Amino acid sequence: MITVDGLRKVYGDFVAVHGSTFDVEPGEIFGVVGPNGAGKTTTLKTLAGLIEPTAGTVRVAGEPAGDPETRTALGFLPEESPLYEDMTARSYLRFFADLYDVPRETANQRIETALDDLELEHRDRRLGDVSKGMKRKVAIARSLVNDPDVLIYDEPASGLDPLTTNYVLEYVRDLADAGKTVLFSAHNLYHVESVCDRVVIMNEGEIVARGTVEEIRAEHGETTYRVFTTVPVERSEPDGDRHVTTVDSMDAVEEVREAAAAAGGEVIDIRTRESTLEEIFLDVAGQPMPGSRRVAPGAVEGDRERDPSEPSEPPEAPEAAE
Amino acid sequence: MNVSPRKLLRVARWEVSRTVGTVDRKTAVLGAVALLLTLGVAAGGLLAGGVALDEDIYAVAVSSDSPYHESVTDSTPLEAVPVGAPNADVYVDDRDPSDREATVSVANTRKGQAALGAFRSAVERHNARLLAAEENQSAAFPVGVTLSYVERASERVGASDGSAGENDDGAIGGDGTGDSDGAGDDAGDRSAGSGTASDGGAGSGLGVPDFGGIAGSLFGGQPTGSPAEIAPPFPFSSLVLAFAFLVPMNFVIQAYGSTILNERINRRGELLLVAPLSRTDIVAGKTLPYAGVALAATTVIALAVGGGPLSVAAVFPIALVFLAATFVGAMFARSFKELTFVTVTVSVALTTYAFVPAIFSTVTPVALISPLTLVVRDLQGEAVSIAEYLFSTGPFYLVAGTLFATGIGVYREEDMFTQRAVPLKFLDALAVRLHRPRDVALLSALSVPFVFVAELLGVAVLFALPEGAAIVALLVVVAVVEEVAKGVGVYAGFHRSRFERDLPTALKLGALSGAGFFLAEKATVVVQVVGLGSLPLGEAAFGTAGVGSGLGPAAGLALVALPLLLHVVTAAVGAVGATRGRRAWAGTLLVAMAIHFTYDLTVVSALG
Repeated sequence: MITVDGLRKVYGDFVAVHGSTFDVEPGEIFGVVGPNGAGKTTTLKTLAGLIEPTAGTVRVAGEPAGDPETRTALGFLPEESPLYEDMTARSYLRFFADLYDVPRETANQRIETALDDLELEHRDRRLGDVSKGMKRKVAIARSLVNDPDVLIYDEPASGLDPLTTNYVLEYVRDLADAGKTVLFSAHNLYHVESVCDRVVIMNEGEIVARGTVEEIRAEHGETTYRVFTTVPVERSEPDGDRHVTTVDSMDAVEEVREAAAAAGGEVIDIRTRESTLEEIFLDVAGQPMPGSRRVAPGAVEGDRERDPSEPSEPPEAPEAAE
Repeated sequence: MNVSPRKLLRVARWEVSRTVGTVDRKTAVLGAVALLLTLGVAAGGLLAGGVALDEDIYAVAVSSDSPYHESVTDSTPLEAVPVGAPNADVYVDDRDPSDREATVSVANTRKGQAALGAFRSAVERHNARLLAAEENQSAAFPVGVTLSYVERASERVGASDGSAGENDDGAIGGDGTGDSDGAGDDAGDRSAGSGTASDGGAGSGLGVPDFGGIAGSLFGGQPTGSPAEIAPPFPFSSLVLAFAFLVPMNFVIQAYGSTILNERINRRGELLLVAPLSRTDIVAGKTLPYAGVALAATTVIALAVGGGPLSVAAVFPIALVFLAATFVGAMFARSFKELTFVTVTVSVALTTYAFVPAIFSTVTPVALISPLTLVVRDLQGEAVSIAEYLFSTGPFYLVAGTLFATGIGVYREEDMFTQRAVPLKFLDALAVRLHRPRDVALLSALSVPFVFVAELLGVAVLFALPEGAAIVALLVVVAVVEEVAKGVGVYAGFHRSRFERDLPTALKLGALSGAGFFLAEKATVVVQVVGLGSLPLGEAAFGTAGVGSGLGPAAGLALVALPLLLHVVTAAVGAVGATRGRRAWAGTLLVAMAIHFTYDLTVVSALG
C-alpha cells in the first residue's frame, strides 16, 4: 500500500532523512519511532504530500505521494491539532468533507458515525472551547471524513491523558481491523509495541532497526534467564529464602541446574527476561527515548520478566509522553 | 495542480463564513463607522453634483452679459464674481461690445497661472459643448481663429480671444495684451500674501506648495486658511479620491493579512495543504472574498462620486496590489506585529504611488502614472485610450500577479511555518522558482514590473527638481533598482545552493539574467505610446532617446545592442560576487551600479 524507496530529504545543509526504504502492507499498522530530529515526521509528511523529497520515490496506493488521487485516498493527522477554533466540530468536518468531494448526505452520515465512535460530545460548540482530548478526537474524525484507505498519524496520542490515549490507540487498532492501512509515529514505545504490527526505528535520519517488535527484539535485544535454586551456586545472589543466578543462555541454565544438584539442591523456577523496545532503542540509537520514564534499577518499567510457561501480558499503560 | 473553480469557491465560501462568524461587535462597529465615513464623503460629493472638491477655487471677475460668463458658471473650480470685485483671480474685460477682443488678465503668480489654465479649460469645454450641440454641423463650421501670444513684462499675463472659438492647439489665445485694471496685486493677495510676481518663477526650484492659512499666519501672513489659498493649487480632487478609494483598502488588507497569517500560526494551514486542492485554489479562495469586498467598495464609491466603470477599472488594480503585497507580507511576517508593519508599509507606499503623480495633473504623462488620474478623467467625462489605461494600470496588474505568484511559491509546508528572517524568506521565495539556469532569466523578466513601478515613482517624485539634478538623481535610481532586480535572483540561487558556485556558472547566470531583463524591459515601450518618453525625465528613465529620431541603421542597432550588452555585463559582474557570499555580492553590485550609471549618463548626455 505504501512504498518508500531511497527517500532522502535535505534542508539546506541539513540532511533530515538519509535514503529510507520500507513498505507497508494493506491493513497493517506500521510504526515509525525515534527521538526528536530522527526524521520520522519528515518521512510522514513526505508520505502525506506535504513535503517534496529531495531524492527517492514515495508511493501511496501505487501513485506518487502528493498527487490529487493520493491525497483523496489519504487521511493525515499531524502531531498538533491545528483546528480552526472558531468553527464547531460539525462545521469543521463538513468543510473538509466538501473539500474531499464527499456528497453531503454521505458526509453527514460519516461525520456522525465518527463522532459517535469517538464519543465526541459538544459537537456544536466552538472548537476553541473544547478540551485538548476533544480536539484530538475531532482531528481524528477529520482524517476519516473522506473514508481513506491509508491513514498517516503523527503522534496520535500526543499530549493526551492515559484514558484518552488508550481510547485512541484502541480506535487505531479498530481502524486497522476495518481494513485501513495505518502508519504512525510515536515517542512512546509502549504505544508502538502495543499497537504496531511492524516498526522501523529511526535515528538521525536513518533507519537503524526494522521488523516486528519480536524480530527487532530477537535481532537487537537479548534474553536473560533468572534461575532460582534452593541452594547457593557460583554467581548466585540471595533472593529471600531462594538464590537467583542470571545467565544468558539455556546452556548456562543447564550448568546452574547441575551445580545446584551437585550442592544438594535443585532449580525451583526459571524466568526469562527480554529487552524492552526502550532498551533496544537505547542500544541501537545510542540515546534514550525522549519522554521515557526514569525507573529505579532493578524495577525497569516495561520489564517483560515472566515465567516461560505463562502467557505474556503487557504492562499497564504509562502516562503519555509530553 | 490545476485550479479548480469549484474548490476555490468552497474555500472562498468557508473564508466568508469564518470571517463573518468571528468578527466581534467592536470590530463590526469600527468597520461600519469607517464605511459610513467613506460613504459620507462620497455622498457629499454626489450631493454636490459629483466631485466638486475643487469647487469655486478661482474667482473670475466677469460681466453677466459676457459670453464668458456661462463658461465660468459651468465650471466647477471657477466662481463668477462681479466685475470690479476685489481679490478676483481672473479678470475678463469685454465691456466694449464693439471690440471683438476680450482681455483676460491674471496676476503673474503661480496661482494666477493655474487660474488662467482653469479658465482656459473651462472655455474650451464650453465651446466644445456648444459646437457639439449644434444641429447643423456644416453650418456651424469652420470657425477661423487667429492666435498670437504676446510676451509681457507686467505682473499680469493676458490672453484675449477674438471669437470664443476653439483654436488649433486647444488654447485660448489672441493678440490682446493684458491690460491691468489695477487689481493685479490684489489677485496675488489671495495667496496669503505670497502671491507676488516673484513667486511666479515656474521651473526654478522645488514646486513646494506655498501654504497660506495656519502656516501663513504663523509666519506673518494673512490668516485665511482655505484650500484655495495654497499656491500652486493643491490637487484636492486627487487627495480626496485617494482618501475615498484607498482608505477602505486599509481595512480590507488588515483582515486579509490576518487571515493569511492565521493559517501560518500553529500550522493551521497544514491540513488544507494535505487536502486535494492546489495551493492556488487555497490562496485564490481565501483572497476572493477580500477582492470582492474591495471591488464592491470601489464600485459603491465610484457610483457615489459620479464615476463609471472606468473608475472601477482604474481603482481595482490598485486594490489587487494592496491584496497581493499584503499576501506576500503576511507570508513573510513572523508575527502579527510584523504584519502591522507590512500593512502600514503597503498602505503608505501605494497611497504615495497613487497620489504623488496626480499632483502633476497638468503634465499628462506623469499624471497618468497614477490610476487616480483615470478616475478624474472619468469624472470629467474625458476619454481615456486603451494605451493610457494600460500605462496606468498595467504595472499594477503585473505587480499584483508577480506578488501573488511569489507568495504562492512559498505557500507550502516547508516555508510557511518557519520563523526565518524576512530577507531569508524573500530569498527562499525566489529560490523556489529556480530549477534551471534559464529560470534566472524568467525571474529577472518578472522583476521588470517592479522596476517599472519604482522608476515611474522616481519620475513622479523627482519631477519637481531642476531638470539637470532630476536626471542625474533618476539615473542613480535606475542603476540601483535595475541592478538589484537583476542580481537578487542570481544571489538567491547561489544562496540556496541551486547552482554551483563557480565562475562559468556565474557568467552564464549573469548573461541569462541580463538578457531576460533586457527583453522584458522592451515591453515598457508603452511609455512612448502615452508620451512619457517625450519628457526629459521619461527619456532618461526609459531610454527612449533616439527612438524614432531618424537615426541610421547602425546607430539604431547600437541602441538595441548596447543596452543588452550593458545588462549582461553588469548582471555578470554582480553574479560573480554572488558566488562568494553576501558581502562580495554587495561589492560587485556597487560596481555594476557604477557601470550602469556611467553608461546611462553617457547615453543621455550624448543624445542630448
